[in-house]
Amino acid sequence: MDSIAKTIGLDFERVRQHLPWVTLVLLILVVGLADANFLKPQNLIGMAADIVPLFIMAMGLTFAIYIGGIDLSAQSVANMTTVIATVSLATFGIGAALICIFFGAVLGGVSGFVTTRLLVPSFVSTLAIGGVAFSIGEWLSGQRALYMDATMRDNAFGWMVGNTAGIPHEIFIGGVLLVGAWFLQSRTTFGRALKAIGAGELAAVASGLNVDRIKIMAFALSGAFAAIAGLLFAVKLSGGSPTIANGFLLPAIVAVLVGGTPLTGGVGGVINTLIGTLIVAVIRSSMLYFEIDATKQQMVFGIILIVAIAVTIDRSKLSVVK
Amino acid sequence: MADVQTERQTASGGMAFGLTRETVVKWAPLLVLCVLIAFFAIMEPRFFSVRNFARIGISSAPALMVAVGVTFIIIMGSIDLSMEGTVSVSAVLFAFAFLALGGTVASWAWIALPMALIVGALIGFLNGLVHVKLRIPSFMASLAMGFVGTGFALLLTGGDRIRIEDELFRSLLTVRWFNFPIMCYVALAFVLIAWFIQSRTTLGRNFYAVGGGEELAHASGLDVNRVRIMGFILAGVFYAVGALLAVGRIGIAETATGNNFMFVSITAVVVGGTALWGGIGGVWNTLVGVLIVNVINNGMVVIGLPGYVQQGVLGILVIVAVVLSTDRKSVSFVK
Amino acid sequence: MYELQSVDKMFPGVHALKSVDFKIGRGEIVGLVGENGAGKSTLMKVIYGAYQPDGGTITIDGTAVRFQNPRQAMDHGIGMVFQEQSLITNLTVMENIFLGFEAQFVSMGVINWSKMAEAAGKQLAKVKLDIDPGMVTSKLSFAQRQLVELAKVLTLEERIDGDLVILLDEPTSVLAKDEVELLFKLVRDLTSRASFIFVSHRMDEVLELSDRVYVLKDGAVVDVVSKTEANVDAIQHKMVGRDVDKEYYREQRQTDFRDGVLVSFDDVSLGTSYRNISFELHAGEVLCLVGTEGSGREAILRTVFGLDRPDSGTVTIKGQPVTRFHARAGVERGIGYVPRERKIEGIVGGMNVYENMTLSQMQNYSSNGVLRIGDEKTLARSWIERLGIKTPNEYKDCGGLSGGNQQKVVLAKWRSGGSDVILLDHPTRGLDIGAKEDVYDMVREMSADGVGIILVADTLEEAIGLSHTILVLKDGEMQRLFNGFREGKPTLYDLVHHMI
Repeated sequence: MDSIAKTIGLDFERVRQHLPWVTLVLLILVVGLADANFLKPQNLIGMAADIVPLFIMAMGLTFAIYIGGIDLSAQSVANMTTVIATVSLATFGIGAALICIFFGAVLGGVSGFVTTRLLVPSFVSTLAIGGVAFSIGEWLSGQRALYMDATMRDNAFGWMVGNTAGIPHEIFIGGVLLVGAWFLQSRTTFGRALKAIGAGELAAVASGLNVDRIKIMAFALSGAFAAIAGLLFAVKLSGGSPTIANGFLLPAIVAVLVGGTPLTGGVGGVINTLIGTLIVAVIRSSMLYFEIDATKQQMVFGIILIVAIAVTIDRSKLSVVK
Repeated sequence: MADVQTERQTASGGMAFGLTRETVVKWAPLLVLCVLIAFFAIMEPRFFSVRNFARIGISSAPALMVAVGVTFIIIMGSIDLSMEGTVSVSAVLFAFAFLALGGTVASWAWIALPMALIVGALIGFLNGLVHVKLRIPSFMASLAMGFVGTGFALLLTGGDRIRIEDELFRSLLTVRWFNFPIMCYVALAFVLIAWFIQSRTTLGRNFYAVGGGEELAHASGLDVNRVRIMGFILAGVFYAVGALLAVGRIGIAETATGNNFMFVSITAVVVGGTALWGGIGGVWNTLVGVLIVNVINNGMVVIGLPGYVQQGVLGILVIVAVVLSTDRKSVSFVK
Repeated sequence: MYELQSVDKMFPGVHALKSVDFKIGRGEIVGLVGENGAGKSTLMKVIYGAYQPDGGTITIDGTAVRFQNPRQAMDHGIGMVFQEQSLITNLTVMENIFLGFEAQFVSMGVINWSKMAEAAGKQLAKVKLDIDPGMVTSKLSFAQRQLVELAKVLTLEERIDGDLVILLDEPTSVLAKDEVELLFKLVRDLTSRASFIFVSHRMDEVLELSDRVYVLKDGAVVDVVSKTEANVDAIQHKMVGRDVDKEYYREQRQTDFRDGVLVSFDDVSLGTSYRNISFELHAGEVLCLVGTEGSGREAILRTVFGLDRPDSGTVTIKGQPVTRFHARAGVERGIGYVPRERKIEGIVGGMNVYENMTLSQMQNYSSNGVLRIGDEKTLARSWIERLGIKTPNEYKDCGGLSGGNQQKVVLAKWRSGGSDVILLDHPTRGLDIGAKEDVYDMVREMSADGVGIILVADTLEEAIGLSHTILVLKDGEMQRLFNGFREGKPTLYDLVHHMI
């Protein structure tokens, strides 16, 4: 009995690795069969470009989830940065980008500090820091939607939203960040340490890794990526408001989990998140093609999220499921 | 390197100064509330008026119900983040049923009131099932269920608002006894019910047993999974009461009815002194916690500070509260 | 009459109980002894329903039974008195006593607290404990908690018609002498109604209380001795078992250690864990810490590695007094730790062989934070060959290797990083014979290379066979230091005599 269960389990482990991209290909085929227009390169490229801010946020979240934590502040941080970007554009021009990333990283780092040093579970600490980010956004914006000066925006950030050889620049930005994040994750000591913490935190401690510092850095990265997502969003919409990115958190978490980075951490990574984000994008557009009402989207994603968690989490790591 | 000796030492060490720590944890929230009230009263005498207290009562009542609901879950050492979805769905379904059945409490539409509570219980049941049967950690299961709930509410309303204009129902807000609207008394009555469940029923005591030591409770023959699911059902009922009061307060049911309840209620429970690790605290703590949150909110407005600062202040407050109530040695590592 | 017939219990890779026969009659007190890992706790869990056996039968008065959970075992009159940690400390004493069985005090959904308090008072009177049943359990002393545990199990007297079987798991470990006597008197008085299974490390107590003693070794019952014919020495001989084969522990290859001191403890104490410990570890020396569970063995290892700061005394490592206590600092000082929980603290399952090997020394395999993966693989390949690690290649997931090979990966991690002090905490636990011998080979090799080793061994034979010196501990205090290699190795009985 045990051995049979074990064999099935092992096989499932093998299947589980390939589930994300198989799902993606199947989804594309299904939607493509229903409507051939969907498969037109232009449509696919447009779809990809639209999803880039979400992808960037999800990449950041991947770092937090990879170490077995969660970052519920990503959306609030992105909201806050749209405001910071809009407000600081006039004075600092392109320097506004650095300010945004800096604030995002600092808030993420604070979340990490609160989680590791003060022993507050990450879902509470990031929820709380999200509250702080929200207040900063409201305060800076005066609780209004702000707009960027068009010339200033084009001077400083026009390159972000341009178009080269028919390919929107957002895709390049997403690609560069992906390569950077992938390099960090799989080619550096930092990435290796992240994996060790996610897969076996106690062994990482016993091997002498500075686990606290690495976890804080992971949360800081998550914050920084959320900030970049917010910045891109602000540039695309030419303005900012403390609620502009609402509705991003759910699809971002879904993207990470559907991509195959489980909540228990240690496996998966940013490439998985790319696939996960594309799955989210295809599902979204397929809803348009199948004329499913936009009001149903959130519910559909919520259900997908439950299924994704149930399939991906490694229950052997949870001694007691609380 | 599990070492019996060290564990024992920790345990006895905890006992030695446990008394003082316990006392501090027990009374600190009430002290904080009193200090806050005194502070705002000195800053602005208008704060210390029956009129203003009624205002605080009105804003507290719905949040109090939601917070009491999640208190049971937190006592068990789990967490429930589904309240926003549950409140929205309960509110919207209530509104539909209420209008369909006659639109006034004087008609058969009163049935919509208990029906809303059943809706809450059902959602809670579903929540508990997903958590227990699929073995998904509660914070994730309930967060996802919350998203589903909000999505479902959106689906039902299509983004529209539903107005409830029945005067009898709105009397929750409009009729006042001793300067406080009826909804404050309703909320207080439900707090008493919650307190009764917590202290006089097997289920209530079992919440504490599960929170105090799940595996030990199981070894004693307790059906822990059943207790967990019951906890989520109970929480769902209280969220639904919160939904009714929220609709009573503004006379509108919509997808956004549930907005912000998650942050406020979790903050209130934790600030009130119920430990996130389970086993300690209760509904009176939550009452104090909700009042702290709402006094801060109201006080800031009264002394002329913008309301949006509240979220940031509460965020910091919740971190401080968790840090103070955490017995560091008992937590090996936190994710 | 409660009986187990040829009961087997298997865990992945471990045959935990091998065809165990066990019976206990009415009013009997039966002792259960064995070394750590002999299968005592597994057997107890089978008896009280926490585990289901994979083979064999359980009968009560001739009727076969099968328990899915502890609750069903309780319904058949089988109760477990856990060690004192198993009460839920945020509940009151009476709530703990009746946990899971509150229904008898509930009318119309309301708990009648005074009725419960009264009933709890009766149970407490059975164990002669005079405390307020409404007291919060965390305020009780450990001895009191132990008695509450017993009182809780004794509620079975009222609930069950038939005979009771009560398991006592190390009930005396937290009790003072007079409290132990009180407990024994209670147990004897209760035999009119219940039979008892008594598990303890304290051999003299087992013999004093029990009518018969079951001796477990390697998951099998090796002997059942009756009180009249039992003596401590004979039972201990049975417990530790087979004659020691000198070659098994590679004693031919054992060489003398050198003069250089790597680690020294000077009158070091830490709370209740250990007190006034002094020793020196030399290059090439294998120092074994011997004592029962809780004697302070593991706590001393933790301090050497740098995890726990002692309250007083001086720890010196390679001539430097240690001031920083942190795992990272330990690694930097060249100390390698091979933990007992191999899969949790030793290897990272989900990471491959080379990733595990370089985990503690990534700075040596990276430039400016960028890993030189080629170098890592080269390192891994050379150590796979050197230690004979059975893995198809260096990028295989360590979680999928056998226990012995995982252990080799952990050792390779420290040795390749140049650690010259290695702490081995139960390095052969759960390994099969062949893998154990590989570990012994490695110990000899490291010792010959001048590595200092502090060992907490799985069995006493292993301790004697592998070590140069043996430090015997009891209740956190040094009992004796045997300089075995130079002055003649102690026998099992020399050690046991000082341990218990």
